[in-house]
Amino acid sequence: MYELLGAGIADILQWKYLLPLFLGTLAGVIGGALPGVTITMTIIVVLPFTFGLDPLQGLAAMTGVYVGGSAGGLVTAVLIGLPGTPSAIATTFDGYPMAQKGEPGRAIWLGVWASFFGGLLGGVFLVAATGPLARFALQFGPWEFFSLFILALSMVAGLVESSLLKGLISGAFGLIVTILGGDPILGSPRLTLGIDAIEGGIQFLPVLIGVFAFAQIMADVEKMGGAARSGEALVRAATLAVSQLKVIWEILSRPFLLAWVAVIGVLIGVLPAIGGSAASVMAYDQAKKFSKHPERFGKGTPEGIIASEASNNANVGGSLVTIMAFGIPGDAVTAVMLGALTIHGIQSGPLFISQNPQLAYGIFAAYLIAHPLMVIILGLGARWMINIVTVPKAALFPVVLVLCVIGAYALSSTMSNVYVLAAFGLLGYAMVKFGFPLAPFILGVILGDQIEINLIRAIMTDPDPWLFLTRPISGVLLALSVASIAAALWQHYRHQRRTASSSEDNADF
Amino acid sequence: MIGRDGWAGLVVLALCAILYWLTLGLKGHPLVPIGPEFYPRIVIGITAVLAVLLVAADLLARGKTPPARAAAKSNYALVASMFAVFGAYVAALPYLGFRMATVLYVAANAVLLARPRGALGWAKVLVLALVTATVTYVVFERYLSVLLPRGKWTGW
Repeated sequence: MYELLGAGIADILQWKYLLPLFLGTLAGVIGGALPGVTITMTIIVVLPFTFGLDPLQGLAAMTGVYVGGSAGGLVTAVLIGLPGTPSAIATTFDGYPMAQKGEPGRAIWLGVWASFFGGLLGGVFLVAATGPLARFALQFGPWEFFSLFILALSMVAGLVESSLLKGLISGAFGLIVTILGGDPILGSPRLTLGIDAIEGGIQFLPVLIGVFAFAQIMADVEKMGGAARSGEALVRAATLAVSQLKVIWEILSRPFLLAWVAVIGVLIGVLPAIGGSAASVMAYDQAKKFSKHPERFGKGTPEGIIASEASNNANVGGSLVTIMAFGIPGDAVTAVMLGALTIHGIQSGPLFISQNPQLAYGIFAAYLIAHPLMVIILGLGARWMINIVTVPKAALFPVVLVLCVIGAYALSSTMSNVYVLAAFGLLGYAMVKFGFPLAPFILGVILGDQIEINLIRAIMTDPDPWLFLTRPISGVLLALSVASIAAALWQHYRHQRRTASSSEDNADF
Repeated sequence: MIGRDGWAGLVVLALCAILYWLTLGLKGHPLVPIGPEFYPRIVIGITAVLAVLLVAADLLARGKTPPARAAAKSNYALVASMFAVFGAYVAALPYLGFRMATVLYVAANAVLLARPRGALGWAKVLVLALVTATVTYVVFERYLSVLLPRGKWTGW
């Protein structure tokens, strides 16, 4: 493993890989710093640029986007009190107050170095755990894969914030998209709805791009044209310079905090669809609970910034584990990375590492090297990045949508994927307006074919349906699916009871 | 009285009914014992059941739902216009080609989102449109060898 990792690092340090990694990290930092843009949008925009590159160059760039984006959000979180990405939400709680007290440099550098150390701890987990998990997954037969994908879908449906029922419908709707157009077993057209363009099936990338890009952009467009939102006062500082050693010592002198929040970030990253924002908030909450001075949280305490930023970068490592070991994307960003692998003809899944060791360890190396690059970029550019926030959306949105069209068109050099992009852009927006979460839908689209293939394979191997329960791993996975849905129902019931009892209490007054 | 969720559930149910009807025409293959309709019917069936539950949940919640707070005003007209302009762009791509269609689209979209003031404002929109089309064309087609749509009417 270490030889392969060393070889991966040596590869990535070559100019031909280092440059896309650097540019990807830069794009991620800028995209992360721009409120409303999101890491997902940034990676969607970067995707078409990777088509002409070799697989490791493209994936290095995307890994850079992911790492850079997870840290970039702290710039605006600290300087204007507005998180650039959802994963920087908790950074605003203490980063902005610290900046307002006259220490914006300390706030930013605490965030940057916490991102660095948290991300590297996530990297340790990524490198150490992915191989054993992939080897474990090699024992899987079609029953186990089917059950694993069902578990992923049910967790995603249960963990999103909207209702469980809508989450499940959203996931099922994603599966419906995959039954249109083509039969993955026979390879023949099926349920084409009379549309020739989808005879080979609907590719998930234009669906993903359309759904996420339009949902995000149109949500912002809805708010345009009305009363201007009163912005937070911009923290103006003559300099952001601080003693780096002092800031690093502030972080490393809290080793248990750093380790614990990194573990939280990694574990949440492994679970599908939860994402960096939950990691950031949960880590902040934990840091406050275990702090000797919880009353200082929210007023500019360094522990708040450390917890948020370390966990949201460790989260990236966790997300990469599930896609590298199982081929299941943990979030939209890794879903796009999965798409990039597919475009380059590389099969994801448990055999990915053993069949493509140079690529796999190259991705690990890219993840690790992206962190010092992120520090350099933020160190040099944090002050100027605030100007990027002022890019008008009227200029930004059309450019983003043009890049989305290029990304869709370039998949097969035909307009069919662009039409899919447009159609699912409209559907994605409608889903958001009706309160249907997008994450289960996208996961359904990504996993649908594999669910069908593994179900049919399992039945054709042995038609006994009880095998899904009696095979130990499959049985456990299905039991966990049921448990996750039951847990979501219980949470919903508890929330309903709390809401009902608080409205009764209010009625007393 | 059915609410938003109920209507969404009914639409999904109707879609499931249409898709189920379409599966009746699917023909199997003699070498594959499980027909192509097997899995789609499972998925359609599960989705239909969930849709029915959503409609039922909406009807049950109607009486208990607290009065909705006034939502912030949303500019749906602008959203609809954005979609319309994007649709026109996608429709125009095969006929005008990437470069021309993109110039027109970026300009139209930028004007839609923020009407320019004065000659300078319009000049900025034009520059944005031209730069976007030119840079993307050069980077993708010339540098990255990613072919972009050619127009049937323009030939480029």
